[in-house]
Amino acid sequence: MSPTHVLLVDDEEVFTRNIAKLLAHRGYRVTAVNSGDAAIRALEEQPFDVLVLDLKMPGLDGIATFREMLKLGLSVETIILTGHGSIDTALEAVKLGAHDYLTKPCEIEELVAKIESAREKGRGKRP
Amino acid sequence: MPIGGYLKKLLRRRAAAPDDAAALRLEFKERYHHFKLLLGANCKALEVMSDIEETLRGERLFGMTFVRAACTSVCVSVFSMVRGLERLAPGKYTALFERFDAIQKDIEEILARPLPPRDPRLVIPLAELNRELTDAAGGKMANLGEIRNRLGLRVPPGFAITTAAAERFFAHRELQTEIDRRLQAAETGRLDALYALSAEIQQMIIRAEIPPEVEEAILQAYAALEAECGHGVKVALRSSALGEDTGENSFAGQYRSELNVGRDTLLTAYREVLASKYGLPAITYRLQRGFRDEDIAMGVGCLAMVPAVAGGVVYSRNPVDPHDARVFINAVWGLPKAVVDGSTACDLFVLSRDDPPELLAAEVREKERKYLCYPEEGVCRLEVSGPERLQPALTREQAVALARVALALERHYGTPQDIEWATDEAGEIVILQCRPLTAKEPPTEAAAPAALEEESLLCRGGVTASPGAGAGPVFVAERAADLLSFPQGAVLVVRQALPRWASLLGRAAAVVAEEGGFAGHLASVAREFGVPALFGLPGAVERLRAAGEVTVDATGRRVVAGRREALLAAQAPRRPLMQGSPVHRLLEEAARRIVPLNLLDPDALEFAPEHCRTLHDITRFIHEKAVLEMFRFGQDHHFSERSSKQLYVEVPMQWWILNLDDGFTEEVEGRYVRLGQIACRPMLAFWRGFTAIPWEGPPAVDGRGMLSVLFQATTNRSLNLGVRSKFAERNYFMIARSFCCLNQRLGFHFATLEALVSERTAENYLSFQFKGGAADFERRMARVHLVAEILEDLGFGVEIREDHLVARIEARPEPDLLKRIEVLGYLALHTRQMDMVMANPTQVEHYRRKYRADIEQLLARGSA
Repeated sequence: MSPTHVLLVDDEEVFTRNIAKLLAHRGYRVTAVNSGDAAIRALEEQPFDVLVLDLKMPGLDGIATFREMLKLGLSVETIILTGHGSIDTALEAVKLGAHDYLTKPCEIEELVAKIESAREKGRGKRP
Repeated sequence: MPIGGYLKKLLRRRAAAPDDAAALRLEFKERYHHFKLLLGANCKALEVMSDIEETLRGERLFGMTFVRAACTSVCVSVFSMVRGLERLAPGKYTALFERFDAIQKDIEEILARPLPPRDPRLVIPLAELNRELTDAAGGKMANLGEIRNRLGLRVPPGFAITTAAAERFFAHRELQTEIDRRLQAAETGRLDALYALSAEIQQMIIRAEIPPEVEEAILQAYAALEAECGHGVKVALRSSALGEDTGENSFAGQYRSELNVGRDTLLTAYREVLASKYGLPAITYRLQRGFRDEDIAMGVGCLAMVPAVAGGVVYSRNPVDPHDARVFINAVWGLPKAVVDGSTACDLFVLSRDDPPELLAAEVREKERKYLCYPEEGVCRLEVSGPERLQPALTREQAVALARVALALERHYGTPQDIEWATDEAGEIVILQCRPLTAKEPPTEAAAPAALEEESLLCRGGVTASPGAGAGPVFVAERAADLLSFPQGAVLVVRQALPRWASLLGRAAAVVAEEGGFAGHLASVAREFGVPALFGLPGAVERLRAAGEVTVDATGRRVVAGRREALLAAQAPRRPLMQGSPVHRLLEEAARRIVPLNLLDPDALEFAPEHCRTLHDITRFIHEKAVLEMFRFGQDHHFSERSSKQLYVEVPMQWWILNLDDGFTEEVEGRYVRLGQIACRPMLAFWRGFTAIPWEGPPAVDGRGMLSVLFQATTNRSLNLGVRSKFAERNYFMIARSFCCLNQRLGFHFATLEALVSERTAENYLSFQFKGGAADFERRMARVHLVAEILEDLGFGVEIREDHLVARIEARPEPDLLKRIEVLGYLALHTRQMDMVMANPTQVEHYRRKYRADIEQLLARGSA
């Protein structure tokens, strides 16, 4: 089976770099981008198994990116990353159809567990 | 059954065509997947709910971060369940979405409750201030205005920089957003992390720009003060925060005061005082007392410096014993700072409440230090020399005048007061601040000093700064770094009763200080937190350093070696600090929409979405229906492979098994499945427990007869008086290899067991519910409590609501949980009908003993 392909979207470059490295160590294929616009472009170019999307970004923020994706019919199981300050928005994202959310700073194991669960859900849909 | 009779039977016989079969298999797989996600969300929701309950009950500290995170987490989980059920039964339970939205909206409103609007002015002169302006000027300045303008007492001239000004400051260039971001990302449970964070935030504030309109308002008000008091007047900047000094809570000493400030340093000093909102003592205090950051708006008082000859604190009653109505005055030379920070001994004057007050006692102490304020050098600490050291800092007349002021203030406010004062060069009394006295009920008379053998006595004497007794290992704190290593439950021993130690009081069993009296900040906070404190014990640090565990009897003014239960017993239990705080109240209110379970009986008419009043109700409803929907699938689609099969055992019992995934060891044809074909480990464990020890009645039967009784109970409809739904007539197992969900109805008893047990320990859980019975309510309750007792001993978390018991245990290794499932199997069989005998205490005891012995036997056996 091909490795799970994760699209990681966060404007904090240090964070994305670290997480991408940690996920790669665990056998994931990771593409990291730093803005909502870049995320949309990446999703239009190729399919991903799981999207990890930060809520708070300059420009197109996480929720706006997610809405845009839905509008364009770009369906992918999504895990929302949120700070404690914007945690209420997590519910909004889940209501829109995101798979789950995670508060930053997060443990890599927690993220991996959620990616796995999202991946499984995605597979359930497209057997 | 939705459709009855011949037609239904005919339909069921028609097997699915092979193409359909492949599609149905796939669809079932997807349904099972949604079901698993739903169960996962259910677990998460219940976990958060019990976390909320525990948080509300206990003494754990929490802030808004916890409240928001918990509410969001439970909402997301419950919403996932609603969505999951929608996937299992599209369009059937849409009313749940509305119920969920309504409840969630309520919770959101509770959490977002705004603070009341305030006076928009940025500065307000003292001459215009009074109590009603507390929200604008903060408690301290509003009080000073009140006593100046309404009581005609002397206070220093000055003005208040309002909370609105501070809000502008923090909003300017999104400073507050940045602070919140850092605070929310921090681990508030760790003192060292808080320490670093506090320093970082304070630096940010000190470097931040003051908005131009605020700067202008402050400088204009200062210019007006110069016009009144003379050019270049030096001022003191003091915090006057909202929520501070409200009687219930004294933020004594948590914030900074800047003395001897001129025009050139005024704005810097303002920032310094604002920054102290994020000082370590203030952050930990808010955390410990359940204040949100936004509950504390920082007003700042700007007051002309008083050239203090003497100063101190006066209490309109004894602060450590409210039954003692005498007036207590503490006095030192120079500024009152030396009394407040506990750095020197002070004179004590005790006066009656008569008019005029009579001086009842005067204890004049050797006052080694004093603080004075010089125009150029600022505040200096001086050694007191010569005869002044032993001279009283107040004359009799001044003491009497001060007592009068204290009594007048108490009358005016209607509660005992704690007043900071100074005398000026003319000998006049000036009030610097006043606030309600935080007094503490003294321990009961039973606490009267018990006789103790001399050799165990480590220290004796000193001043009771906060009454009571506490025991723990001695921890000597000398440097700021010691703040970080202070262990929970230790006895804090320090040289000086400095305010900076206040951040440890939430963890300390008691406090001992070599210097300091009951008038200091540390003493008031100790009283507020209910931490026993004994101050003024010279040499205590060296004497106690290696003493190990000690008992501090602050009321009896002694420290003894070891833990003395007799002394501690008289100590009233400490009230949970968070109770009654704004954050606690918010969580409590939100929890009312989350935690209570009102839907108990799945057969009741009220078991419907529109009767879900809490998120817990929704989870209960969804769980029940999701199980039902999983069972219906095979039947509704006439799909034998995913229909339930009857378990074929020696005697014909009605146990129906639905294989969710890998619950069978092989492909099972037909309508029956044998025990040997079951691969589900939790179900097999349940079965082992269920059949391990024969049921001894009533009626008394042998092993075979027992099963026939069971058979009767499970098949005879006339026994099942409470049964209305077809589903509830039988015993159902839904199984996968490591998962089982059991719905069991034996006669009048209803039990469900859900278990996920695999080598992934963190995900494992076991949930057991038990309800009903044939006897009256009291007897059923008695039985539920006996079952609860047994389960609690096995490490389950147990909750009881009416005769409904819910037990849960999580994250234990597989063998532990399988053993517990065996016990549940045993209980499911053996506790039935014992509700009939629960009114007879001898019988109850008999069963209690029997269960314990049987369970012991069960646990001792191998699990193979």
